[in-house]
Amino acid sequence: MGLEIIVMIKQVPDSSEVVIDPVTFTLNRGAARNVINPADENAIEQALLIKDKNPGTNITVITMGPPFAETALLDCMSRGVDRAILVTDRAFAGADTYPTGLTLAATITKIGKFDIIYAGEESTDSSTGHVGPGVAEFLGIEQASYTSNSWAEDGYVFAERQLEDGVETIKMEPPCLITVLTNANMPREATLRKKIDAMKKGIETWTLANIDLQPDWVGLKGSPTVVKSMRTINEKKREGKKFNVDEMDKFVDELVEKGILTFGVD
Amino acid sequence: MAGLINAEKPSNIDDYKNVMVFLEARDGKIKKPGLEMISVGASMAHKVNEMLIGITFGESVGSMVKEAGEYGCDRVIGYESPDLKDFRTLPYATLLSDLILELKPNILLIPATRNGRDLASRIAVRSRTGVTADCTELDIDPNGRILQARRPTYGESTLAEILCKSHRPQMATARPGIFPVPERKKDAKYESEARKAKIKKEFMKKEIVDFKPKTTVDLTSAKYIVSGGLGLGKASGFKLIQELADEIGAYVGASRPTVDLGWIGKDHQVGQTGQSVRPKVYIACGISGKAQHLMGMKLSENIISINTDPDAEINSISDYIINADLYEVLPKLVEAIRKKKSEFEMQSSNKKAEEKPVKENIEEKKEKKPPQ
Repeated sequence: MGLEIIVMIKQVPDSSEVVIDPVTFTLNRGAARNVINPADENAIEQALLIKDKNPGTNITVITMGPPFAETALLDCMSRGVDRAILVTDRAFAGADTYPTGLTLAATITKIGKFDIIYAGEESTDSSTGHVGPGVAEFLGIEQASYTSNSWAEDGYVFAERQLEDGVETIKMEPPCLITVLTNANMPREATLRKKIDAMKKGIETWTLANIDLQPDWVGLKGSPTVVKSMRTINEKKREGKKFNVDEMDKFVDELVEKGILTFGVD
Repeated sequence: MAGLINAEKPSNIDDYKNVMVFLEARDGKIKKPGLEMISVGASMAHKVNEMLIGITFGESVGSMVKEAGEYGCDRVIGYESPDLKDFRTLPYATLLSDLILELKPNILLIPATRNGRDLASRIAVRSRTGVTADCTELDIDPNGRILQARRPTYGESTLAEILCKSHRPQMATARPGIFPVPERKKDAKYESEARKAKIKKEFMKKEIVDFKPKTTVDLTSAKYIVSGGLGLGKASGFKLIQELADEIGAYVGASRPTVDLGWIGKDHQVGQTGQSVRPKVYIACGISGKAQHLMGMKLSENIISINTDPDAEINSISDYIINADLYEVLPKLVEAIRKKKSEFEMQSSNKKAEEKPVKENIEEKKEKKPPQ
């Protein structure tokens, strides 16, 4: 039996192309290409794996972002996602995790029925991991975070959570929300045929007017937190002193002299 | 449940007092990331003449309540029920949210572990407030009792200070391995209370059908780490890494590609998707130093890079660079260390009795070698 799946994604600057300024140690985002947040790619793949096993499954991908986030949605459709909604509005700018979750939850409420919501564990550009579980709270549904695998069976949803001290297998009733770990699976490539279909079908664009939230509940105005200041983390200056492979005795002498190696005396 | 509702500014902000910490536990013991929040929480609370309130949940909480008090909480509340034995989002979130309504804490700290973040995200929304994730510095501004929550951002290059001025409680999750565990004092004075929890059946629908404990290698508190990267060329290269590690009482770390290739277990992985470490000495063998790896180790006190590539990125943050093949360097380095150690032993055995502790310490260190 088919399931209704919603995947929440975010477009982020490609962290492998992001350049860290050697003087200020800040991120130069300008040079970086925009890509689907890596963990969200794994969330999309997890949804597609469920669709492969459960014919008749429908996948809708949603994102809150600027108009150019459209490319990330088209990328998802080219891999086999059925429907894509871009929720975009100037009013959403400057949102912290609270109004971001609220905006996505309101969007999902408008979409209607669903069995599973997927999201990546966290985004590479803000690394909070709060939005997924936040959406589950707004919607009042169960959740399983930090999962490496999940599947649908006998009307239940199962998920494996990777914790610091072990692996937990969860059994839940739908509807529920699952966040997926980076590298949980191998995201499939887009196919040319699906790409053409995606271009034909296009994406839907929603604004604040489509989701029944008040303007001061979203974006910067709806955010309980503010960034007060940013400062560069002062890193230790490193000398990079060189030793040859034949100078290991000299090297160890120096390490001992400087108290770097102490052989358990400290 | 929250429902689709905005973050609300409470009108009675001055009624919110004290610092509350959620002490995550397993099997009747508070876990280290929970204990780590006690000293930072207490110092913030005491700075403004308030209390540190520790909260702990479990099947039975007697020993945990005692533990929390002896580690430095001024007041401890434990909720017990067989339904609280394992962490489950809804029962935990409901109990903690109800406690927030009852006690109105000004600040709530939760460890930034996976379960801690799972919980904190929901508590923030249910309490209609903000939360700052994964903080490495926490302080309180006595003027207005505002939490100054600082977290690394942009690939650990920048520290952002985030405030939540007009919503309560002010919430933060604290990165494990950053804040020190306070000293445990048997004679500590604290108020304590164990409460029986009643959990609604509807919150217990999520079943934990299986739990497989992992043997973990806790690199976050390691003093010495020897790490291997792709430059090893093969899985067996880690034997050489292990040999050096054994010699100096170090833990073995690894870069992500070696873990992805299956050369070594994921629990050895250092970096953005592995563990963040800050040992006294980090020896990187055959690690080029991709940004994601550097993020997880650049706070190490001393960094030694052994690499054939003189332009390896890791060299730019290294104190010492040995620009040669690690298969040549490591045996020579191990030999040099052995030689130095035997010199130490000779010296101390030749000298008088007062020098003896040096040797004893060497032996003790050997016994303390981490399990691999």
